Amino acid sequence: LPDKMKEVVLWSPQEVTNWLTENAVPEYCEPLKSYTGQDLINLTEEDFKKTPLSRVSSDSGQRLLHMIETLKVAHHMEAHKNGHANGHVRSGIGDPTRENGFGSKTKLNGLPNGYKKEMIKIPMPEPERSQYPMEWGKTFLAFLYALSCFVFTTVTISVVHERVPPKEVQPPLPDAFFDRFERVQWAFSICEINGMILVGLWFVQWLLLKYKSIISRRFFCLVGTLYLYRCITMYVTTLPVPGMHFKCSPKLFGDWESHLRRIMKLIAGGGLSITGSHNMCGDYLYSGHTVILTLTYLFIKEYSPRRLWWYHWLCWALSMIGMFCILLAHDHYTVDVVVAYYITTRLFWWYHTMANQQVLKEASQTNLLARVWWYKAFQYFEKNVQGIVPRSYHWPFPWAGLQRGRQVKYSRLAPDT
Amino acid sequence: MNTIETAKLEEHMEGQNNDTANGYSRPTLSVSEENKTGTSKPKGLSNGLRKTTKKYPNYIQIAMSAEPRNKFPMEWWKTGIAFVYALFNLILTTVMITVVHERVPPKELSPPLPDKFFDYVDRVQWAFSVSEINGMILVGLWIFQWLFLRYKSIVGRRFFFIIGTLYLYRCITMYVTTLPVPGMHFQCAPKLNGDSQAKVQRILRLISGGGLSITGSHILCGDFLFSGHTVILTLIYLFIKEYSPRHFWWYHLICWLMSAAGIICILVAHEHYTVDVIIAYYITTRLFWWYHSMANEKTLKVSSQTNFLSRAWWYPIFYFFEKNVQGSVPCSFSWPISWPPSCFKSSCKKYSRVQKTGEDNEKST
Repeated sequence: LPDKMKEVVLWSPQEVTNWLTENAVPEYCEPLKSYTGQDLINLTEEDFKKTPLSRVSSDSGQRLLHMIETLKVAHHMEAHKNGHANGHVRSGIGDPTRENGFGSKTKLNGLPNGYKKEMIKIPMPEPERSQYPMEWGKTFLAFLYALSCFVFTTVTISVVHERVPPKEVQPPLPDAFFDRFERVQWAFSICEINGMILVGLWFVQWLLLKYKSIISRRFFCLVGTLYLYRCITMYVTTLPVPGMHFKCSPKLFGDWESHLRRIMKLIAGGGLSITGSHNMCGDYLYSGHTVILTLTYLFIKEYSPRRLWWYHWLCWALSMIGMFCILLAHDHYTVDVVVAYYITTRLFWWYHTMANQQVLKEASQTNLLARVWWYKAFQYFEKNVQGIVPRSYHWPFPWAGLQRGRQVKYSRLAPDT
Repeated sequence: MNTIETAKLEEHMEGQNNDTANGYSRPTLSVSEENKTGTSKPKGLSNGLRKTTKKYPNYIQIAMSAEPRNKFPMEWWKTGIAFVYALFNLILTTVMITVVHERVPPKELSPPLPDKFFDYVDRVQWAFSVSEINGMILVGLWIFQWLFLRYKSIVGRRFFFIIGTLYLYRCITMYVTTLPVPGMHFQCAPKLNGDSQAKVQRILRLISGGGLSITGSHILCGDFLFSGHTVILTLIYLFIKEYSPRHFWWYHLICWLMSAAGIICILVAHEHYTVDVIIAYYITTRLFWWYHSMANEKTLKVSSQTNFLSRAWWYPIFYFFEKNVQGSVPCSFSWPISWPPSCFKSSCKKYSRVQKTGEDNEKST
């Protein structure tokens, strides 16, 4: 710093321009050409958000503001050199709003003149508010939503079961796939095993993700909504059983206790035939198995490293085989599987596109994606997520290890002896 | 850019002053812009200007910015392709209905499926005519509105593409699983069992009648999942609303009421299962919003890792149709009857020769 420097507040615009050029930020010369030193000092972040400064500044003026602060410090030092009554430095360094909890403690050293002991507070930058806040509370809400949709689906299946016409009265509907492929009995177990493997893989993968809460929130939202839609389509029109091999439990005709028991059994078994919990009929349009197979594959693919192509292929194969086996086992009509696949993929892509683009998170005339009924809930869940969730991983278990990277915070200055 | 070009030109002019071998300077200005329009002279100054700069070396040519490329090019040929696509899908649907008709189980063997709406509301016979009349009115309104739109071709292209795709989806769902007739009142035409000639005749009859029962062309059964009437009612309403002025709320309300009434009447007439209508509504609205969001938002038009909307199978077709449309199509209207050439004639006169003051008396340009 030059020895003799006029106080910044007394600078003329020419001197400001000179200073800017000397400090290698000539791009600011033009917009600030009429600024005096006082104006320069008074620049704040807000000014950089407006034109003309927003046009020339690539970092919202961070660098320039920093330089101005350094300048101010230098001048405080200078001013102090010339003598203050009690050697008291007022720490006006930096933006007062940036201080984080140190307070404006200053040390009075009681010296009559001069500045022998001088402490300048350097503000620690505040830890940045995370771009991807965890917000486990919201994840829990999403979980409750998914759970209630599951329970509601189970109740609906139980209700619909009463209305399925018996297969003698209403034979299976003609289906293009069934005409070409005969039924294979063990195929449905394959489908369910594939589904369980995929769910297991997804669960393990989820444990390794860094932003668990955000991703599981999305999963619960999507699964819940898909099951909710499924309730509606199942309930309004009841399709007959797709094959004569179906053994449907007898109807209950209003016996609520048995209904409840069936519902519990279905939930406990996860709705799978393998566990023997699924002997109720009528839940055909659309296929829940397809939803799970497709959705877990989409999530696995989306939140795993792109170079694990063999892993993606494996999951894709599991998913496709699973869906094919549903049809091979004549356990669902083809239209059930087709509609389930369509709705699942569209919903997944719709949600993630909206979540990844900041501009779509606000409703506007051109943003037609916002016209879905669940948009407000989506905004609530995703508004604090800034940008695309990166695919980062970490070990979920060793909590002790997490301490290592933590920054040590100092809170007290040790005085010189 | 202009400042740079003017500076370059000044240098050139100075260079020319020093060396007037041929008085010919090759300014680099506007070369790229001129290449775009392709109509203005690509190299050098036009003759008049060339001579003039020789005569008046102090003159500096100010580059006229090339005519801005039209943000919403008409490209009627793309609309033609979309129309052919829609027509093809419509015909495919008709053929599919005829095929599916053969597989519908007779209502004695396969009674109508239990449906919640049918349990609560008994059949009303004239309701389906109401639905079809509403549909026809809406289609008429939409055509009328479309004629007055300024960017007819773009909007028409979108309409044809979306309706073609919806009918394609409908073909698939109709074909794979055949639902029985929703009510005992259905009078299905007898099955043909391989008589191709008669089948073709039925197809033609269906097409000419537009698939409506009112015209007596729809005597075939089996096309239940999902409902084509709902598709038309919903889609036309969405288009009417999207491409009309915002403050016409009464117009939007009327169309909405007609659409909703039409859809409910389909169910009241027991002509479609409830699930047919629901799925049709869902697929139509989602496809419409999906397509238009991609078309309106620049970031969504490009295929990228984060743009999941581009993973739809029809994305390449969409990109082909919409790549030259820059931004959201404004809601502007114009008389449909004016001659196309007059719409596009630029009102900006072009000057190509510099005139020195004082020469005005001698020459008139």
